Amino acid sequence: MTSPREVKGEARKMGLIFFPAFDWAITPTHPEREERLLYTRDQIFEEGLMDLPEVEEYKPRLAEHKDIARVHFCIPSVEALVTEAHLIAAGSTLVLADAYMKGEINNAFALVRPPGHHSMRVAHGNRGFCNVNNEAIMVEYIRRKYGIRRVAIIDTDVHHGDGTQEIFYHDPDVLFISFHQDGRTLYPGSGFVDEQGGPKAMGRTINIPLPPETPDEGIHYVLKELVLPILEEFRPQLVVNSAGQDNHYTDPLANMRFSAQGYAKLNEMLAPDIAVLEGGYAIESALPYVNCGIILAMAGLDYSNVREPDYHPGRFSMSRTMEANITGTVEYLQGVWDARDELTAKAVERAGPFFRRHKNIFYDTDGIRERQTESVKMCPDKSCPGYMTIDTDAVRGYGQSESGFGTFVPLFACKSCREEAREEYEAHKTDSRYNYIFFQDKNRDEYRLYSTRMHNERVY
Amino acid sequence: MLIGIDVGGTTTDAVLIDEGKVIKTSKVPTDHDHLLECLMAALDEIVLGIPPEKIERVVLSTTLITNLIAEGKTDPVALIIEPGPGMNPDGYSLGGEVQIVRGAIDYRGREIEALDEDQVEKAAAKIAERGYRKVAVASKFGQRNHAHEERMRETVMRTIPGVHVEMGHQASGRLNFPRRAATTVLKAAAMDEYRKFAGEVTKAVAGRRIQAPVYILKADGGTLPLATSIEHPVETIFSGPAASTMGVLALTPAGQTSVVVDIGGTTTDIALILDGSPLISSEGARVNSYLTHIRAFAVKSVALGGDSRVRAVGGRVAVGPERAGPAFCLGGPEPTPTDAMRILNLISIGERNLAEEAMANLGKKLGCSAGEAAQTVVDAAVEILIREIDEMFLAWEEEPAYRVWEILQKEKIRPQNVVGVGGGSLGLVPLVAERLGARGIIPDNATVANAIGAAVARPTLTLTFRADTERGFYTVAEDGTTGEIRDRRFGQKEAEEMAKRLIIERAADMGIGEYAAEAVLTASEVFNMVRGWSTSGRILDVSMQIPAGLIPEWTGGGRG
Repeated sequence: MTSPREVKGEARKMGLIFFPAFDWAITPTHPEREERLLYTRDQIFEEGLMDLPEVEEYKPRLAEHKDIARVHFCIPSVEALVTEAHLIAAGSTLVLADAYMKGEINNAFALVRPPGHHSMRVAHGNRGFCNVNNEAIMVEYIRRKYGIRRVAIIDTDVHHGDGTQEIFYHDPDVLFISFHQDGRTLYPGSGFVDEQGGPKAMGRTINIPLPPETPDEGIHYVLKELVLPILEEFRPQLVVNSAGQDNHYTDPLANMRFSAQGYAKLNEMLAPDIAVLEGGYAIESALPYVNCGIILAMAGLDYSNVREPDYHPGRFSMSRTMEANITGTVEYLQGVWDARDELTAKAVERAGPFFRRHKNIFYDTDGIRERQTESVKMCPDKSCPGYMTIDTDAVRGYGQSESGFGTFVPLFACKSCREEAREEYEAHKTDSRYNYIFFQDKNRDEYRLYSTRMHNERVY
Repeated sequence: MLIGIDVGGTTTDAVLIDEGKVIKTSKVPTDHDHLLECLMAALDEIVLGIPPEKIERVVLSTTLITNLIAEGKTDPVALIIEPGPGMNPDGYSLGGEVQIVRGAIDYRGREIEALDEDQVEKAAAKIAERGYRKVAVASKFGQRNHAHEERMRETVMRTIPGVHVEMGHQASGRLNFPRRAATTVLKAAAMDEYRKFAGEVTKAVAGRRIQAPVYILKADGGTLPLATSIEHPVETIFSGPAASTMGVLALTPAGQTSVVVDIGGTTTDIALILDGSPLISSEGARVNSYLTHIRAFAVKSVALGGDSRVRAVGGRVAVGPERAGPAFCLGGPEPTPTDAMRILNLISIGERNLAEEAMANLGKKLGCSAGEAAQTVVDAAVEILIREIDEMFLAWEEEPAYRVWEILQKEKIRPQNVVGVGGGSLGLVPLVAERLGARGIIPDNATVANAIGAAVARPTLTLTFRADTERGFYTVAEDGTTGEIRDRRFGQKEAEEMAKRLIIERAADMGIGEYAAEAVLTASEVFNMVRGWSTSGRILDVSMQIPAGLIPEWTGGGRG
């Protein structure tokens, strides 16, 4: 099926879901608390943005457990890992996805919390304020329901979108681009230029670490010189903005110098089909203005009058060193993108029959340490991304341990990979080293969770 | 004895109620150029022979303001806005004379840019030059801090002698600056005409030696003493549909869910009563092209009535949207739903043979008999109503929500009753009800349900309280009251107690103190403010209201 992006016609409205979850917090004093979008509510309601003929406000709904299971191996279960607030945030993106795919709206913004881009495929708990990955849930829902294939996710949060990257790392049809404050200076400490995708998807993950204090100018340069040309070539059927707002010059958790004008212009340049809110914790000095700017830009309206009280054009500029740093990174990544096919061929050759990697993952919010071994079949069928298994073992604060084994069949896997994967799942059901055995078959849209302790299976 | 009078578009209806029973009704044609005379004619008819001292309460519902605004007969108003950062103010569709001045207040009521007094002065001079005698001033977030609005007002009053100035924060304290500015303009525009009308009514009633208090019905189904209402002229807009809905509330069993279908000659108004509470529109009413903050029942107006023109279009029946005149069976020019209902024996007004003729003509074009044509017309009308009712419930279900509990608790509900009022209801309402699996009700006195609704409606009042303990102050959105909060431990309990005290005071100020006990808490939220890693204060939002309801004197005579 073609997506609305490919048949852009008459100007329609932008779709908006504003779900501030005024009755939900991680803890009363956590940055992810009730107050986070309070002033944003005040600003966008006072502006009367919901009354504009260019804006259509939608009502959130709850995502189904199956929508979560399509993306995540939740330990111990989907039900135990997500609260209703998570289901509503994820569900909001699905409401907008449907409205967009049906052509009711031109583009959409899910201004919702809680966020999701640090959540990886295996989810033991909350990582970087995220339990489940809203963008991934939406993308997989759209691909399943509407049959589109090529998707680009541009992560504009100040933190590396490590969860989204991990989920789509081996998927050559999902282009993941993240620009963020250099991982050597900020959580989660990843997102370096050499993270370029799995062997069969080299160059489909692009990480652009930026020096602290990068202003609007720097990010717009990256967009214009690197991101937009890559998108032009990749020809995505859907462009998603994983829209964090913590590059702002007042954000308390990061050190960048981005402004509300900068964010509005970014969205105008990128023209995402769907934007989903991620982080951003300058709840008074940034969010009311940034969100107002993004909504106006996406609705095609004049945003030139949106500004923070203490901002003036030219307040921040780039040093020569910073400029050289950014142009160097951009040049290097252009090379990676251009060489993606050769890089893929080499990486597949080097990997042998199975590609394996080990990962240590830390869940800062819930204090969980996880060790994973990921293994991807390097299927000889060039068009098959190969099935994947994940061996996970997680230790909570005082040593309580949970382990699991998951097998994952991508949407476009070949027949023999699908069969092999199923055998792996069945074989591990009796493997008492693991507490939970998972099976994700995207091809059949079937998701299973087997408990080796209870000897029962759940099917989503 | 209670009196209710509704000045509607076509007729002015009045009722006299004694000991919970309607004992007298009257109907006179409405003459839009002489509303006061219509009102008094209807009043005189029902009080004839009644000693004036027996009358305890008179409530009016009038289209006066609605008409004046629609016909552009209100006073011209110039607007000065202080929009601050945000949307390009040229994008607001506020019409007329709009002057923009620099200065800004933020969402917490902090001044983020000083008001440019020179600009205000220049704006005022320009306004004076163009001859305006009414000015509205509005700041974005003026409801959180009205210092700039006060200063704009002073400057305008100094510059233009004898000018009348309305301030945004006194027109409404709800979020949404363009709506607040528009509401302020309408308030300034209607004020004098309304005051004149209220004065004349007071005089005319006193001239009839009626000592009873006189109230006016608002769009949210509540009453307000006539004397207080002169400060709130635009709230009386759209009181017609509110009167009908209150009438249905009075005439149907308490606590049920009903669709109110008021079928007139040209249009049908649909309103909802959910579990005994009329549904209030979540946004303010639209007045002509202006979106406002005026609280009103959610009423859907459909271009379908007993007199709608019926035509055959490409072998199918089209009903409405326009009216060509009365029904054919009543001497009109074209077939109508009334003619169709007449020959199906759903109603008994008009000449049966004329109705036959109308339907036979239609049948010829459709290739069927008169009876079949009539059935097709009625089916089509019912279909339109069903679709509109479904859409209304759907719109209610799909209203945006901002809290987890709101998403979880909203269920799909469908009506228990379909209640018909207005002339065209008799034939169609039972059919609509049957299709919806609900009980069809045409109450006794259905044709004067609007006047009954006015007579027995009680006052309504809202109070939206916000405290910001970090900044140490509170605001009341409705009238711009502000005050200090010194206690750093001021919490939810204190906020709720304070809101309760304030609504009691506000009720007394409005002259409806005896209803203050009916006030209920509708929302109460606390936002902990964390700066750095410690709690620095709280924002407390508390809403209270006296919801639309019936006065205790109404004992429910005739309740189905």
